[in-house]
Amino acid sequence: MRDVGRLLRRQPLGAAGGLIVFVLIAVAVLAPRLAPHGPKEASFAPYLPPSVEFPMGTDQVGRDVMSRVIWGARLSLYVGLVSVVFGITAGSLWGAVTAYVGGATDIGSQRIVDAVMALPPIILALALMAALGQSVNNVILALVVLLTPTAARTIRSVALGVVASPYMEAARAVGASRWRIISRHLMPNCLAAYIVLVTTNVSYAIVVEASLSFIGAGAPPDEPSWGGMLTAGIQAIETAPWMIFFPGLSISLAVFGLNLFGDSIRDVTDPRLRGGLG
Amino acid sequence: MTTAKTLRILAGLMLLAVLAAPGAQAQDKPRTGGILTWFDYGDPGRLDVHAESPLVVQQATAGIYSGLLHYDPDDPSKIAGDLAERWTVSPDGKTYTFYLRKGVKWHDGQPFSSADVKASFDRILNPEFQSPKCGASLKPMVAGVEAVDANTVQFKLKFPAAPFLPSLASAWCRVAAKHILAKYGDLNQPEAQIGTGPFKFKKYERGSVIEWEKNPNYFIPGLPYLDGVKQFILVGGPTQVAAAKAGKIMLWDAWPPMRKTQADELARARQDVDIFQASINTIFLVYLNSQKPPFNNPDMRRAVNLAIDRQEMVAKALEGAGVPCAILDPKLAGDFALPLEEVNKIPGCRQPKDQDIAEAKKLVEKHYPGGVDIEVAVRAVGNYVDRAQLAIAQLRKIGIRGTLKTHESAAGYAAWGKGDFTMIATQDRAMDVNDASGVFHIAYTTEGGSNYGRMSDPKVDELAERALKESNKDKRRQAYWELQRYIFSRGDTATIAVAWVEGWFFTDKKLKNYKPGLTTYDNNTFMKVWLSQ
Repeated sequence: MRDVGRLLRRQPLGAAGGLIVFVLIAVAVLAPRLAPHGPKEASFAPYLPPSVEFPMGTDQVGRDVMSRVIWGARLSLYVGLVSVVFGITAGSLWGAVTAYVGGATDIGSQRIVDAVMALPPIILALALMAALGQSVNNVILALVVLLTPTAARTIRSVALGVVASPYMEAARAVGASRWRIISRHLMPNCLAAYIVLVTTNVSYAIVVEASLSFIGAGAPPDEPSWGGMLTAGIQAIETAPWMIFFPGLSISLAVFGLNLFGDSIRDVTDPRLRGGLG
Repeated sequence: MTTAKTLRILAGLMLLAVLAAPGAQAQDKPRTGGILTWFDYGDPGRLDVHAESPLVVQQATAGIYSGLLHYDPDDPSKIAGDLAERWTVSPDGKTYTFYLRKGVKWHDGQPFSSADVKASFDRILNPEFQSPKCGASLKPMVAGVEAVDANTVQFKLKFPAAPFLPSLASAWCRVAAKHILAKYGDLNQPEAQIGTGPFKFKKYERGSVIEWEKNPNYFIPGLPYLDGVKQFILVGGPTQVAAAKAGKIMLWDAWPPMRKTQADELARARQDVDIFQASINTIFLVYLNSQKPPFNNPDMRRAVNLAIDRQEMVAKALEGAGVPCAILDPKLAGDFALPLEEVNKIPGCRQPKDQDIAEAKKLVEKHYPGGVDIEVAVRAVGNYVDRAQLAIAQLRKIGIRGTLKTHESAAGYAAWGKGDFTMIATQDRAMDVNDASGVFHIAYTTEGGSNYGRMSDPKVDELAERALKESNKDKRRQAYWELQRYIFSRGDTATIAVAWVEGWFFTDKKLKNYKPGLTTYDNNTFMKVWLSQ
C-alpha cells in the first residue's frame, strides 16, 4: 500500500489515467447490468433530448444513446484489447526471433516491415476491410495487420540489446537450444517493452476502430460502435447534437485515460526514468 | 402641399408604375443562359436507360434522350408528343400509329428515323433482354413494333390496354440510335450517350459530376433555355443537405426526399428557396428471398410480414411522411386503392402490434425453436441503413436475429438481380407510370422487373393481367381491389409493401417553370426551365 501511495504521488497523471481505464473496464464488463436497454432496441421515439428517462437522449431510430455508449465501451475494449494482444504478441515474437537469428532472415524481415509501415495505416485498414467485409472481427484482423510490424520493429531493437548481453552468450556457451534461449532468456527481457506497447496501443486501436466505423468501413452500423454513432449523429447535428456529443466524449476520455496510463507504465518500467522507485 | 406638387408626385408614381410593369412582365419571360445545378444520390456506373432501373441512371441521361411521347413539361399530368408529332389508334384499340417529326438529328448529326424507334423497341421488347423498367411495363401489352415508312411507326398490342400510352410516355422508354446500338452493343458508355434530347452528354466524372450541354440543334427551336445542367454526385444525406445549404444545388426534386429535420435545417439556412412536401410515387418495399432458407418456407415469410411494423417505419424512418401498409396509395391511385380503413385491419398492419408479434413468434418457434440468424442486406443510400436497423430491431422481437450487410448502390442492385441475398431490409421502387398497374408489374408479378424475391404466384399474374386488359374503369377498379385483397390474404409474399414514401423538396427561387412530374422519373429533362438570374 505504501508503494502504491508513493506511486500515486509520483505519477498523479498516470493514476488519473488508471482511474479512467478502470472505469472503462468496469463499464465494459458490467454493460449488461448498467445499460437500461439493449444496444439495438429501437422502441422509443427518435431524437428525444437528454432527460431523466434517457440521460443521453435517443437517436434517429429511437434507441437509447446511453445504452449504446455503455455497450460501445465493451465493443471498443474488446476490439482494442484483442487486436493489441494478438498484434503486439505476434509482432514481438517476430521481432525477437529475427533479432536473435540475425543475418539474411533479419534483413529480409525488416524490409517486409518497412514495406508495410510505408503504407498509411488508415488506407491499409480500409483496403483490408474492403477485402474482408464489414464485421467487428474483421476490424480486429485489420488492426492486427497494422500493429504487428510496429511491434516487430520495436521489440527487435530491444532484443538486439539483449542478444548482445553476457548471459545470452553464457546460455549459448552451455549449449542451450535456440528456442530455449529465446523463450527463457530473450522474451522475458523484452517483457517491459511488450507491456508498454500493449498499454500504449490500446488507445490507438480504439481510435482506428472508431475512424473505420465513422467512415462506414468498420463495424456494421447497427453495432454500438462509438465511431459509428458519430456517423449517425452527423446526419442530425443541428437537431440532435447529443448523438455526437456523448460518443465523442467517450472516445476522447477513453483515449486520454489510456494514453496517460500507458505513459505512466512506460515511465515506471523504463529504468532510465524510474528514479528512486526501484 | 400644393395641388401642383401633388399632381407632379402622382404623375411620377404613375410613370414609375408604367416603367416597372414591363420589367415585372419580363421576369416571367424565359431567360436564356445559365447552368442548372442539382445532384444524383449515387454514382450510376452503367448508363443504359433500357437495361437499368436505378433512378441515378435515369437522372444521368434524362435530358439526352427523347421518347415517342413524354409528360408535358408545362402540365406533367398530360401526355404529349415528343418525337411523335401525333398518333392514331385503330378502332379495336390494338394498333397505335405514331407519325414522327421530320428533320430531327441525333447529337452526332445523323438523321433520326423510324428505324431508330424500331431498333430501340425491338431491343426493349426482346424476351431475352432484361429491361426492368420500360420492358417490364410494355412486354405484357405489346406484340411488336413495325416501321411503316421513314417517319411512321406502328405498335401492335396483344389487347387494348389503357396503360399503354402512359407506359410509352415513361422516362425509361427513350429512343436510342440504331447506329449507336450497332456500334457499342449497349448504352452503358458515356460515348454511347447520343440522343435527340435538349441536351448533349458532355462529361461523366465517376463519383464526382455529370454534365450536359445545350443541344443547339434541338428539334424545338428556342429550347432549351439553359446552357447546361450539372449533376453533382453526392452520396449521403449530410453531404446533400450541406450542398443545399451552401447553395451548391438549385433543387431537390426526387429520391431521396429530404426528411423534415433536413428541411427545417435548410429553411433556417436559406430564405431564397421554396420548400414543399410531396409524394414521390414511390413504394418502400422489403424483400425476402423465396428461393433460399429460411424464407423458402412460407411460414417464415408470413412471420416477417406480421412482424414488420409499418407504422413505426413511417413514424421513425420517414419522419411521418408516408402512407403505411397500402399496396396502392389512395392519394395517388384514387379509388383504385383499397380503403385504408380496410388495409389497417389486415394482419401485419394491425395496431397495437401485440397480436401480430405473438403470431409471428409462434411461426418462427415452430421451425427455429432457438431463433434464426440471417443476413439483412441493404444498399447504403439515403436513409436505408436506418430503416434496416429498425427492421432488424423489429425482427429481433420474433426471434429472427439479423446481421446488417451494406452494399454500395450499384453493387447492391447487382446482388439483388442475382438473388444474392436473404433479406433486403428496404428498397424503394419508384413507379415509372402513374397507373395502378405499375406496382404489380414491378414487384409482384412473376416477370416483374423488381421482383427480387422471385415470388411467383399464377393467381397474382392472372389477376394483374386481367386488370391490365380491362378497359371499363369500374371493372378495372374491382379487378385491382381483388388483386390487392388476394395479396394481403396470402400473408406470405416475398415482396412486402411497407409504405408509400413522401418527403420534402426544394427549388431555388431563381429556378423558373419547373414542375415536378407525377413520378420520380418524369420532367427532369429541364427542357423548358430557365434561371431568372
